[in-house]
Amino acid sequence: MPDVLIADDSEFMRNLLREILEEDHNIIGEVENGVEAVETYKERDPDLVMMDIVMPIRDGIEATDEIKTENPGANVIMCTSVGQEEKMKEAVKAGADGYITKPFQKPSVMEAIDDVVPS
Amino acid sequence: MNVDIQSLGTFNRLAHEGAEQATAAMCQMTGLDAVVDVTKISLVDRADVGEQLAGGEYVGVRFDFAGELAGETVLVFDREGSETIASALVPGGAVDEAMARSGVEEVGNIMMSGFIDGWADFLEATIDHSPPQYVEGTGTEILPVAPSGGSATVDSPDGFEGQDSPVDGSLDQVFVFQSEIEWVGESVSFYIYMLPEYGPLADVMSRHADAEDDAIPVDKLGVFNEMTYDGTQRAAANVEMMTGIETEAEVTQLSFAPIEDVPKQVGTDTYVGTVVEFTGVPSGYLVVLFDEASAVHIAEAMMPIELDSDELTDQHRQAIEELGNIMTSGFVDGWANVLQTSVDHTPPRLVHDMGRSIVDPLAAQVGQHQEHAFLIDSEMRTDDIAFGAEIHVLPNERELRQALDELLVERADQTEADVEQIFE
Repeated sequence: MPDVLIADDSEFMRNLLREILEEDHNIIGEVENGVEAVETYKERDPDLVMMDIVMPIRDGIEATDEIKTENPGANVIMCTSVGQEEKMKEAVKAGADGYITKPFQKPSVMEAIDDVVPS
Repeated sequence: MNVDIQSLGTFNRLAHEGAEQATAAMCQMTGLDAVVDVTKISLVDRADVGEQLAGGEYVGVRFDFAGELAGETVLVFDREGSETIASALVPGGAVDEAMARSGVEEVGNIMMSGFIDGWADFLEATIDHSPPQYVEGTGTEILPVAPSGGSATVDSPDGFEGQDSPVDGSLDQVFVFQSEIEWVGESVSFYIYMLPEYGPLADVMSRHADAEDDAIPVDKLGVFNEMTYDGTQRAAANVEMMTGIETEAEVTQLSFAPIEDVPKQVGTDTYVGTVVEFTGVPSGYLVVLFDEASAVHIAEAMMPIELDSDELTDQHRQAIEELGNIMTSGFVDGWANVLQTSVDHTPPRLVHDMGRSIVDPLAAQVGQHQEHAFLIDSEMRTDDIAFGAEIHVLPNERELRQALDELLVERADQTEADVEQIFE
């Protein structure tokens, strides 16, 4: 099973993502901000990061940029409520591999993951 | 047609002073004590005018007016308020229905003459009005149909230019001047609505518009209001997707009011919700509010397990926080996409307090740089359960003006971003 790191400042959303993913994925960590996401990525080297954008301390786009600078082969899917074109372009520029907008349902999450980390 | 901020401020002050004059006349005649609580100018869908009156029983006094400005104005009392006035006019005496009606009509006549005279004096012109017409009704029945003669709409991709009725679901917007007056020491209010015809109002606004850089084309205000309605629909769709509760966008309006009146728009009930600060053009604050019962219902609908609690638990609060976050994005993303910019916002901060107490510090922040504020208000409702949500946005006025200046009307329907195309 692929190792997944969940980065979202909302406990509610982390729980929801965990419930969706835990059957087929190994959740190696849940973090609340971009700084913790980068640190945990470096420590645990997961196969995939599910990354929120709007987070305190450091946002998800900055964190993605740092992770991708560290490891261009990292897989990061933005998992966010933000549906702005300019933000999506920033996410692409930072190296994001996929983008899911909240609210989401399990099929759209699984489809996005399958595009990035084929099972 | 352009309207500048200074003129909007002047018109708002005129309406407020007119309401104060009308209220003073009423107090003098009846010995009752009342104060003008709030006055605002709103750009609102014709169908939503007077939405706050929904469900109540009212009596009123209605006038047509014509001249430099034309349209209709109506003084609205709830039934209890009208009985209070009738009793005050004939102290100690038995008040029969005909006497009560005549008394309210005459009070209304004197009050509204003062209201209209203020406008005529400011415009240095004559505004005639019809004899008072006593009216009764439930909810918005008490109001006249908002006058036609063009509306604040523009040539957009939806093709809603100057229509008197909605086309393709677009808004058919009218300007409304609205004052709310409170009886001192009582929980009842009365209202003055002024619904001017668009054409004469546009002429007056154009004449008073400043040629300087704070003028706003009114058609763009209309487009912005339409974008706001789209945002409310998206926020309602997000609620529905997260909870399974069928939710509809109801009222959307863009209001202009003195900064000190902004907190009064939200009322004194207790709410649970989220506040975010957004940055970009425009910057400002966005508040999502649920009444307490709705907050419990909606949070439980989001959770896989039944909490069976009437009180808000930490789990309820987390769910509300995330819902507020998603509703906020649904609301502002459309602006960002149409304006081809990005609007960042802070993580949501959970609030649980009286409505005015939630908005007061936000208005104080915005008020450091401006005397008046645009306030964007939306409501959503559902028939499934007792549920209501409100979104209030308080943008920086100068930046909103800049955003409207940059708004390309032909992009007004480009509210959705194409994720797949961008991530191809």
